[in-house]
Amino acid sequence: MPVEPLVDPVSLIQRIAAQNRDAFSQFYDRYSPIVYSLALRMLRAQSDAEDLLQEIFLQVWRQATVYRVERGSPEAWLINIARSRAIDKLRSIRRRERSFVLTDDPAAAESPDNVETSAGESESKLVMNSALANLPEAQRRVLELAYFDGLSQSEIAARLAEPLGTVKTRMRAGIQRLRGMLGTQAA
Amino acid sequence: MSTEHAHWLERGDIYALGALDGVELKDFQAHLATECSICKAYIQETRETLNLLHRSLRPTTPSPEVKERVLEHIDGENGVSLTVAQPKKSRRWQRITGTIAAGIVGVMLAGAYYHFRYEPRHTVYSAVVNLLRDPSTRDLQLYGAGPTPAAKGRFLWNDSGEGHVFVTNLPPPPEGKMYAVWTIAQSSAPRYVGTIKPDVKGQGGLHINSTRSVLPMDTFAVTLENEDTTAAPAGPIVLVSKQS
Repeated sequence: MPVEPLVDPVSLIQRIAAQNRDAFSQFYDRYSPIVYSLALRMLRAQSDAEDLLQEIFLQVWRQATVYRVERGSPEAWLINIARSRAIDKLRSIRRRERSFVLTDDPAAAESPDNVETSAGESESKLVMNSALANLPEAQRRVLELAYFDGLSQSEIAARLAEPLGTVKTRMRAGIQRLRGMLGTQAA
Repeated sequence: MSTEHAHWLERGDIYALGALDGVELKDFQAHLATECSICKAYIQETRETLNLLHRSLRPTTPSPEVKERVLEHIDGENGVSLTVAQPKKSRRWQRITGTIAAGIVGVMLAGAYYHFRYEPRHTVYSAVVNLLRDPSTRDLQLYGAGPTPAAKGRFLWNDSGEGHVFVTNLPPPPEGKMYAVWTIAQSSAPRYVGTIKPDVKGQGGLHINSTRSVLPMDTFAVTLENEDTTAAPAGPIVLVSKQS
């Protein structure tokens, strides 16, 4: 069976900016699995992740004109949108939960009793064959809490009961290490 | 590289990760506002690296219904079919509000005619009518601020998160800039909901219909931002719903 060549994603974005529905459909088919896996990992609930996915791609449809190729790849642009929106949702959820869960223990606030568990959650388990898996545990932990759970440096320090300075050092060390590892992989 | 700048780049790592907070975040945002090209390039590079983290996740195909919903929505925005969600209301309420809304909409839409370059009029008009019919819709004044004190606006907003912004006396943004619209729930971080593109007369509008929020919104603002700034406002406020 002949394999259709993948269309350049920048070209897709440009056609989406011109309100081309077919280009949008192709873009969705190509990127929705990675955006959805990220949404599931961050929000944990399938229904929330689906809502977020819908919002993200509607934003792509409406704002494809603001994409600039010199500022990064379409995938990076899309993931930035996804993370930004997911973090907004996470913070809203946490504020709401703090109103009801009288605890200072974040682990308790995110216990299975308080978070919708789903098949999607198990599907979004980290596949530890990546550069992330090769980081020291302490560095990986702080990066995951920031990147996937949307926590700030102060929130991470509180959660891990570590000094803020230690958390910042681990973050920077982890990022520098990732920069080197991923740079090597990408080459 | 100077020692002073190494200090900023250390913060840049954590900023790119989205984890910088407190005074450090404000200081760094103020530094970025100086158009520091070194830090901007560094942040972009760091974000590209960090965004590869999502590849550590196993891609998961969403249900086909999600794509159907998205496509239905964009078809609605294009005027192919009207898909704006409408809560069920009694016929009596529709008769009463329909009459009132028709009068108000007539006035508002006359001024809004030129605003909708990117959204077919039929869909936007219908959506605004629906907003006005909704008993939960609030009508907030937007006041000019910062570089555009003469700007004015109105923000129609309902409990389900649908809204419409009308602006006037807002000059077109400088090259490379955009007017970003933000909603702010109680004591929470601003949330980007879209971009307003005023015409040469300074008039513009934005319809928002996918921003369901857990917390009630209490402040709305429009800021002048670099074109790709959607994570958090960094530029000056040009319109705000509460006078400071």
